[in-house]
Amino acid sequence: MAERLSRELMALRVAAELRPREVVNLGIGMPTLVANYVPDSRGVVMHSENGILGYGAYAAEGAEDLDLINARAEHVRWHPGGAAISHTDAFSIVRSGRLDVAVLGALQVSERGDLANWMVPGKGVGSPGGGLDMAAGAKRLIAITEHSNQGKPKILRECSYPLTVAGRVNLIVTDIAVIEVTTQGLVLKERAPGWSTGEIQSETEARLRQVAPVKEMEFIIPETSPPGKVLPDAAAAVADIPDGATILMDGFGGIGGMAHYLMLALRDHGARDLTVVGNTVGIARVSTFGQPPSPGLQAIDHAILVEKGQVKHAIASFPVSPSPSRPSAFEQAYQRGEVTLEVVPQGTLAERLRAGGAGVPAFFTPTGAGTVVAEGKETKIIHGREYVLEQAIRGDYAFIRAHKADTAGNLVYRGTSRNFNAAMATAARITIAEVNEIVEAGALDPDEIVTPGLYVDRIVQRPEGFSPFRPVEEG
Amino acid sequence: MQKERLPRDVIAMRVAKELPAGAVVNLGIGIPTLVSNYLEGEQSVLYHSESGVLNYGPLAEEHEKDYDLINAGGQFLRWVPGMAFFSSDEAFAMIRGGHVEVTVLGALQVSEHGDLANWMLPQRGVGNIGGAMDLAVGAKRVIVAMEHTDRQNRPKVVKECTFPLTGKGCVSLVVTDLAVIEVTPDGMVLREVAPDWSAAEVQSLTEAKLQVAPDLREYEL
Repeated sequence: MAERLSRELMALRVAAELRPREVVNLGIGMPTLVANYVPDSRGVVMHSENGILGYGAYAAEGAEDLDLINARAEHVRWHPGGAAISHTDAFSIVRSGRLDVAVLGALQVSERGDLANWMVPGKGVGSPGGGLDMAAGAKRLIAITEHSNQGKPKILRECSYPLTVAGRVNLIVTDIAVIEVTTQGLVLKERAPGWSTGEIQSETEARLRQVAPVKEMEFIIPETSPPGKVLPDAAAAVADIPDGATILMDGFGGIGGMAHYLMLALRDHGARDLTVVGNTVGIARVSTFGQPPSPGLQAIDHAILVEKGQVKHAIASFPVSPSPSRPSAFEQAYQRGEVTLEVVPQGTLAERLRAGGAGVPAFFTPTGAGTVVAEGKETKIIHGREYVLEQAIRGDYAFIRAHKADTAGNLVYRGTSRNFNAAMATAARITIAEVNEIVEAGALDPDEIVTPGLYVDRIVQRPEGFSPFRPVEEG
Repeated sequence: MQKERLPRDVIAMRVAKELPAGAVVNLGIGIPTLVSNYLEGEQSVLYHSESGVLNYGPLAEEHEKDYDLINAGGQFLRWVPGMAFFSSDEAFAMIRGGHVEVTVLGALQVSEHGDLANWMLPQRGVGNIGGAMDLAVGAKRVIVAMEHTDRQNRPKVVKECTFPLTGKGCVSLVVTDLAVIEVTPDGMVLREVAPDWSAAEVQSLTEAKLQVAPDLREYEL
């Protein structure tokens, strides 16, 4: 029989499966080798549950950093654009569906895609670690394993060991074959050089189907760079926003933290029937929050969208002017019955957004119990106290105002302008950041990054000299 | 005879006495904001704001204004050493998680059970909840600082709130321009009265029943 592939070649073959900019978690053992074979140009983001995003190959000997390890406690290097995160954030990324691929080792894989990899019966208690979370949460699950163990097949009809996950494995890469798991069972896609399909089947308990000619495995990773995240201007960043979209925006209601440049572009773009979610629906113009530096000017706020009839519904905590004698454009439209409104306690709004970004569908909070906020919602007494069930919020788009971005989309904020932006950045399908400055990936300290780049899809720089105020006569 | 009521600054001064040194404190908009003017030196506290800052200092002068440094009322703050910034979701995790010791809030009405109404005048039909509901349930101690009656001289300390509630049974202490009232499980206890005011006079401007503390005192500053 021909030679089996080395662990390195298996890792290289798995690396070829990773598409540009995918977020990838590598399990302990052979999977960690994969990081060494992913070309930088792919923009693949390596995720590790111990709290790093965007690590690269192993650290060179003598250059190890005790504070920079992967989940196997191996010393790694930062990839330019990497970010340090907490354990909780690492699992929020998994739960919210942002982990594209998990690569895990296997003791057994079944023909239905069941995976057993955390415990050998009769040999101690086993350590599930993060494997169960990754296997269940990743959009694609790749198992990398030797095809057999001392002649005993590992690819079986049924797993006999305790499962890590049922029916989630998509692809199996072994030292002799590449096998796809389909609803019709296992399909043999590729064979190692020198191996026949018959020889591979003889080492496999499960039946392998052939639906197309079985190719010989190749070990080439084509250079394919993903498109950049930096766009030329705000108009390009908002161009695809359709009517009826839900947009997370605002910051805190003041000048700092509000994406004025994107809001102007949205007004000019003209999308209608929008739902806007934020702390306010535009109070800067009618309160101290947006006092202009000189008379004749007024702050850009939601009024520019409301006055053009683009807003249909708002979810906000501070929706109207603090002073009833100076009603905002939104309040006037509300009193005329042109828009609808859901008023939400500020902390509940922040947490609903955070939950939306963290893959938590709903949560219990004491806030609002016994008030109108609780009407029509499930309540529950927990440890003698009343709690209200609140639903997560997700948006189609988020307009984020940050201080600085790198080209990988990592964001840092300044002062109190982080406010709602950090949670909103995690809770939208498409997150657009408006920043003062864009630097190269790698120029931000990974430990100072607040919003990791995997949340950010588009970046625009606020033009030089841009003012958040406009002459009153321009509206 | 029109007796003199205490000015807003004296209400704030009286509230300041309630804040233990080193406590994490959140001040609402209005009279509560004034409290910070009367905390100095050894009594200093750590101010928390929903806008995402802890341990902030004084308000900024006009020439120091920075759009990236505001409190929850939209006022500009001065950059001082020791501040920490965080997101609004974390600011509220601090509140709900029991890390804010005292909050001082304004009120439209407080009931004798300690219910608080402060976010909406029913006649407006719409209002701003802001951070008040979270603070009402999350802060370990809720102090209300307000005028004793509204502009039409109607009591704001009532048997039952008629305005939409902010929180139920959350208020511990009410400090007004006439009195200091503690909310206890057995009802409201009148602890202090403004100079020249009698307990009976305060009760006549209060809808809730006030029990007079055996050691009733004049407002202590």
